[in-house]
Amino acid sequence: MSDPKITAKRSDHRLPERFVPRIDYDLCRVCKRCINECSYQALEFKGSKVVSAGGCVACGRCIAVCPANCIEIRPVPPQFAPHGNWSERSRRSILAQASSGGVLLSSCGADDPHPAIFDDLLLDAAQVTNPSIDPLREPVETVTYLGRRPGKLEVCDGKVIIREDDTPLIRMDMPLMFGHISLGSISYNAQKALFMAAKELNIVAGSGEGGLHPDFYQYADRICSEVASGRFGIKPEYLKGVAAVEIKIGQGAKPGHGGHLPGEKVTTMISETRMIPRGTDALSPYPHHDIYSIEDLAQLISVLKESTEYRLPVGVKIAAVHNVGAIASGLVRAGADFLTVDGFKGGTGAAPRVIRDHAGLPVEVAIAAVDRRLTQEGLRNRVTVCAGGGIRSSADMIKALALGADVVMVSTAAMIAMGCRVCQQCHRGLCSWGIATQRDDLTDRLDPEVAATRIVRLFQAWNEELKEVLGAMGIDAVESLVGNRDRLRYRGPNPKIAEVMNVKHIGEGWG
Amino acid sequence: MNRQVSDPGRTDRQGMPVRTENYTASRPPEWQGQLGGCGIASCISLNGDLICGDRIARMLTIMEERENGLGAGYACYGLFPQRREQYCLQFFFDDEDGKRNAEEFMSGRLDILHDEKVFTRERSTIAPPYPIVWRYFAEVPERRSWKGDLDLGEEDYLVELVQHINGNVEKAFCVSSGKDMAVFKGNGYSYEIADFYDLPRYSGTMWLSHSRFPTNSPAWWAGAHPLSLLDWGVCHNGEITSYGVNRKLVEMNGYRCTVLTDTEVVTYLWDLMVRRNRLPVEVAAFAMAPSTFHDIALMPPAERRLAEWLRITYREAFLNGPFSIIVGRSQPETTLIALADRKKLRPMIAGLSPDGSVAYCASEESAIRIVEPEARTWAPEAGNPFIAVTGKGVLRRGIEPSFQGVRM
Repeated sequence: MSDPKITAKRSDHRLPERFVPRIDYDLCRVCKRCINECSYQALEFKGSKVVSAGGCVACGRCIAVCPANCIEIRPVPPQFAPHGNWSERSRRSILAQASSGGVLLSSCGADDPHPAIFDDLLLDAAQVTNPSIDPLREPVETVTYLGRRPGKLEVCDGKVIIREDDTPLIRMDMPLMFGHISLGSISYNAQKALFMAAKELNIVAGSGEGGLHPDFYQYADRICSEVASGRFGIKPEYLKGVAAVEIKIGQGAKPGHGGHLPGEKVTTMISETRMIPRGTDALSPYPHHDIYSIEDLAQLISVLKESTEYRLPVGVKIAAVHNVGAIASGLVRAGADFLTVDGFKGGTGAAPRVIRDHAGLPVEVAIAAVDRRLTQEGLRNRVTVCAGGGIRSSADMIKALALGADVVMVSTAAMIAMGCRVCQQCHRGLCSWGIATQRDDLTDRLDPEVAATRIVRLFQAWNEELKEVLGAMGIDAVESLVGNRDRLRYRGPNPKIAEVMNVKHIGEGWG
Repeated sequence: MNRQVSDPGRTDRQGMPVRTENYTASRPPEWQGQLGGCGIASCISLNGDLICGDRIARMLTIMEERENGLGAGYACYGLFPQRREQYCLQFFFDDEDGKRNAEEFMSGRLDILHDEKVFTRERSTIAPPYPIVWRYFAEVPERRSWKGDLDLGEEDYLVELVQHINGNVEKAFCVSSGKDMAVFKGNGYSYEIADFYDLPRYSGTMWLSHSRFPTNSPAWWAGAHPLSLLDWGVCHNGEITSYGVNRKLVEMNGYRCTVLTDTEVVTYLWDLMVRRNRLPVEVAAFAMAPSTFHDIALMPPAERRLAEWLRITYREAFLNGPFSIIVGRSQPETTLIALADRKKLRPMIAGLSPDGSVAYCASEESAIRIVEPEARTWAPEAGNPFIAVTGKGVLRRGIEPSFQGVRM
């Protein structure tokens, strides 16, 4: 029974704060900049002082703008009676749902402290029997191609035949790409920064499913257009002239789930780009309603190839789920030129917490399963495998490559480079850094050129670290690392994981 | 299993004790592959005259510093002029059971025209046990029933049979299976193996050879080089850092890895790219040791396109890490190929006799000079194949542009 007369206000229990900004009043100049910058209104001016107003999310904006360096954000110590089973997190969730009666939403990737399998993997290096390579002195290549590969070259009367028109490929300078983040989930300036960085780095950036703003056509040759279940913004310009087209079936943060951009975020700009009326909710259905089976997917792939005159690679993105290997094999047989596997730690602008935190497969295991299955079926050398979802560092990227990904998809790290502090409030649209918001006063805070520069520097640094590791392994081109699980060892708590991933345990050599 | 504890006092050249387990046809249970440095040497008669086995043994043995007594071997081509059109399957058997197992398996699947014991010395300085070495001359029958009728060509059928034997038939290992060639290898120093098989009794138009300095044991006769499949023979000095990737490509194409070494994979790659995919030898060599994208961008347009597509298509055939290899084949003509990695991290030198009748490739110049003091020698470039064919001469010295003469 839910009595409508019992309003949320009447039924709400006041909960302890999670974070509190503390101000060193000896240093504070009372400039109030922090108050103006706090989009969560967690600070207020009272008497002669700036004080906490509650609701701090630890986005860190106030710290960054304070000219006196006098703010620190403190996590509030546990306020609940200690209990080994009833964690503070579980009790807060229950209290929130008892008040709202709704599905709990959150954003960014799963934040439960699930151990990352990446942390249980160790890399190999060359000693004596093969020489390591100094990437500053000798070439170590990171050029990567994305798209379908022919499997073999035809030879006719001793003449080697190349049919390059059959297999369009995109060349990238490093095995990295930006994941799909739509205009709508992030701001114009944030998406512009990603596209500028992709162009500068000569890699690919996903469009997300929000269409492509006309201002961004200039970056089209570095953009992978996403065709998702809402079909937003799909028009000739969106499909032609871009680098690749990707059908989005699922997202790691919310496998089996669709999307929902609330009407208040559908501004004039968003409405024009998505081609929907202003102020209406942008709903992406859970499945594509023209894809209820694999043969339907094959048809959509054909339609997209036909409409792009076979000049673009057409890929499919799926969330990493338990049967990911067999599904991946189906995607290749359905005609996908590349496939993207998104692990369950992948980010999101908004997702039900129960799905984000509990559904899917860690990307490490998913990559290994896909790589193994495609190899068993003799398909691995036909297709490009992209994978992401919780890639935190160059080490994660390198391990993902060694497990079998050709291209590693990164989104959250790029947003952190722009300013994101992973406070997990994207779904509220109040991002104080101007990234995950459509409010003009907030989006103005992000300078796309500065943000792009920071992303470029991050990725260049990761690519340098990749070269260092390749050189240390005695490998001088990244393709010789992809799927080379011999160069990984598992040191974690569960050897079964090593077995499933086909990675040897530490201590096991070659001979 | 033919496992025997040998002379406990056996040591290597440095006086280090050598592990006493010794395996012949059966794979050692703890075998996970092998690493190490090696010496390789080869010679090919360009005019078709026969070369005595004594010559290759001298070439290999002079490089004794490159071996430690844990494996050496030779492959001879142009060996059976009387039976040139028959496949010669040369086996190691642990014992009579192994021979029975293999013969039982081959019965009805191959037409065996003749078989004989391969001469081996009954006494040797090599630690026992010794395998029974036997050869069968066979033709592939018209009716090839293998897991149902797979409509396999003659050579693919033989590849299937040999891989099945090596993976599944107990106590037997087929060490070579090509026409007009055979492999003589084992667990000992180069001179011990030459002596064990009495190599001077054989003459051929081409010889490959290999001696090992493995960093690991146990010793396994069948795991020594040359590795061979059909008429391919491969001697390899190096450690392929991309083994996991290369192995995937051959397994995707139906090859089963039974020796678990990078050399085995290299052998299958040559078979896949040149015999099955029919790529010209220099094109396949480029895929294995490609130029950098930076250098490819400097090539003329047609060559650049081929180079790019080779790197994209045969990415998994790219042998990364240090290696130098010597590859031989008898079909369609006796061919010697030598190739070093694209940084040339392992040595390879080529030579030609003053009269131009014999070409050589080896790890060290000493190997050439010991048999041909006046030879003209040169160093093939990194990633650039040397190719010589009996009856045609040296087709590539390993210093030419990548695709010279290739039709595109």
